[in-house]
Amino acid sequence: MKKIKAYLPWIVYFVFFLGLLVVNPGTHYIHLVSRVIIFGLYAVAFNLLYGTTGLVSFGHALFYGVGAYITGMLVKATSPEFFVLYILLGAVGAAFVSFFIGLLTLRLTGIYFTMLTLAFAQLVWGLTFKLYNFTGGDDGIQAIAKPEILSGGVTKYYLFSFAVVTICIYVLWRIRRSPFGAVLNSIRQNPQRITFLGLNVYKNQLKAFVISAFFAGAAGGLYAGLDGSIHPDMLHWPTSGNAILMATIGGMGTFFGPIVGAGILTGLEEIVGKYTEYWSFCIGVVVLIVVLLFPNGVLGIKKIGGSKNNEEKETEVVCNSGD
Amino acid sequence: MKRKLISLFIIAAILIPLGVVQGAETIKIGALYTMTGRGGQYGKDSEVAIKIALDEVNAKGLPGGAKLDVIITDDKNPQYAVSVAKRYITDEKCKFLFGIISTAIGLAVTEVSKEYKIVFVGTDHAGTDLTANKFQKYYFRSANNTFQSMMAGAYYLKDDVKGWKKIAYIGPDYAYGRDQWMELKWGLDKLGVKYEVVGEYWPKLYEPDYTSYITAIMKAAPDILVNGMWGGDTVAFIKQAKPYGLFSKMKYFHVDAGGNYEALAALGADMPAGLIMSARHHNNWPETAANKTYVQKFYKAAGRYPSYAAEGAYVGVHMIAEAIRKVGNANDSDALVKAMEGMKIQCPEDPQGFTSYIDPKTHQIVQIQAIGTTVKNDKFPPAKYMLGNFKTYPAEKLWPNFEYIEYMTKIKGK
Repeated sequence: MKKIKAYLPWIVYFVFFLGLLVVNPGTHYIHLVSRVIIFGLYAVAFNLLYGTTGLVSFGHALFYGVGAYITGMLVKATSPEFFVLYILLGAVGAAFVSFFIGLLTLRLTGIYFTMLTLAFAQLVWGLTFKLYNFTGGDDGIQAIAKPEILSGGVTKYYLFSFAVVTICIYVLWRIRRSPFGAVLNSIRQNPQRITFLGLNVYKNQLKAFVISAFFAGAAGGLYAGLDGSIHPDMLHWPTSGNAILMATIGGMGTFFGPIVGAGILTGLEEIVGKYTEYWSFCIGVVVLIVVLLFPNGVLGIKKIGGSKNNEEKETEVVCNSGD
Repeated sequence: MKRKLISLFIIAAILIPLGVVQGAETIKIGALYTMTGRGGQYGKDSEVAIKIALDEVNAKGLPGGAKLDVIITDDKNPQYAVSVAKRYITDEKCKFLFGIISTAIGLAVTEVSKEYKIVFVGTDHAGTDLTANKFQKYYFRSANNTFQSMMAGAYYLKDDVKGWKKIAYIGPDYAYGRDQWMELKWGLDKLGVKYEVVGEYWPKLYEPDYTSYITAIMKAAPDILVNGMWGGDTVAFIKQAKPYGLFSKMKYFHVDAGGNYEALAALGADMPAGLIMSARHHNNWPETAANKTYVQKFYKAAGRYPSYAAEGAYVGVHMIAEAIRKVGNANDSDALVKAMEGMKIQCPEDPQGFTSYIDPKTHQIVQIQAIGTTVKNDKFPPAKYMLGNFKTYPAEKLWPNFEYIEYMTKIKGK
């Protein structure tokens, strides 16, 4: 029974995203849910830092955008045949960039870390915006073709995105449940204890930073294929803010919460944007309600009573073992 | 028998109109505009003009009693705009995509139009790319592109400004600003004008303080200062440059968006006289009945005078209606494309004896360009200055220019 409970989110995940194809709500909604799963991966990757490690990066759009630009530019420069490889290269590129940014930013903590990640992201956004002949400047890059097998109909790309996102999310899930994941959890709760245990907080944070950037980059690469166009907005601070919003709304203390947050944010944008241009006001109100009434996010409601989940208990064991 | 006939007549009298009502199709146009923030006024003005055009088109009638309707959504950013455009086509069953202020968003949405083979009428974004190196056959534009403005500007500088040699440029540091400067220089070179560039200045878009740029320009002392800004940036620059006496020391040249009514209204009495400007539509030129009627209709509907964005939207709706009339329905995109290619369309900005038309090869509207200077005129309040002393440049001398398209493709790629 316990095992089924542990896997329940996965069952819901598969039933929802694959069931959608059975229901077949139409091309538009399949495209919309494709956006949700890609944003979901971006948000879950971000949450490895935010919800698990306790690091609030306000510059995650940088890695999402770098992944998208590497994928898009490689497709434009060569051919769409190697699209899948380019997504991987985009993710590796994002991880590579994050390593150097992490080396510098993780020396700081709290708001200083947050502001520095924002500064780096804005710097790269500015470069993308200004390197007109290289990145297309504010016009972005269009007509990013997909290989024949993924073209012609949104369902094919939806299935491809679903497969890639599921693999990525499974890897992230295993990481979070691994001893390394427990260390990250403990860093969030009490970094000093981790030092007392003989573990290096900085190195582990850097590992988490690079892993998180890798998967954010993969999400960016996937998005480049979904719409066939990329734009500097993907690296701009509102995209970083969206990751925080998705994780907060869905529940940053839960693994699947950010996917729910991605669904809520994308759905709200879709529904509210249809009727009024004051969509940002409505989204603001929803965020306010969630923060005030459900401080643990939509999926974290059950935690209000104070019962701890397995991960927290495991973390406690890790922390206590140092006493 | 007589009773039967009367009964049949009554039933027919009830059912026939019902049939007409049920069969009357509503043809939906999916529009995207910037409705909030700095470009919001352009979206709001376009919305008013769309309503005016819809009333006219539906009153005149469409084949099969069909009615045109436009759905408008705030476009936010390219990612969101693409998603909305796809929703318009697949969910809302729109037959046309429409509008868009930003070229970047236009470039993203034109890909959707190409993928779904749906006609997209761009009404305000002016990036030449869309009708040049990024051209695709389902795209049409109902307002001029920046090349048309800047080529007319090159003619103006060659023929109507005497004794100048040194030129400087200030424009927003993004594609729109960069392209204008590239296009003007290309035009001047083609016309054999000899000039010396003494400065290029690239403030960021929405820059609040231009002081350092103004002092640098004054030091460079060009004969002509070309400005490529739009909207609030134009207003801020002119307000800040005026106390320095910049406008008395050099000629100020701002021909794509400088003379937009939005800027003239915002500056009011602060607008200096004698600035060389233009826009994609002028409320006081040409003084034709069609332009006067359009401007007055807009004023009546909105309580203010239109900015140039409104005319593109107004013309765009009429273009679509005309294409539907020619084809007989809105279901065959390829037939609609054929109907629009070469279409003649009377625009409010057309002077007597000229009718704008769609260039069949690039799908760009071809129009006469008028460049004027600021003169006192308070007939369109709150503006205290309007453009006057207009010089006009023949449409066919400005577009299409395949030599430039080739040059642009080489520089910017397909």
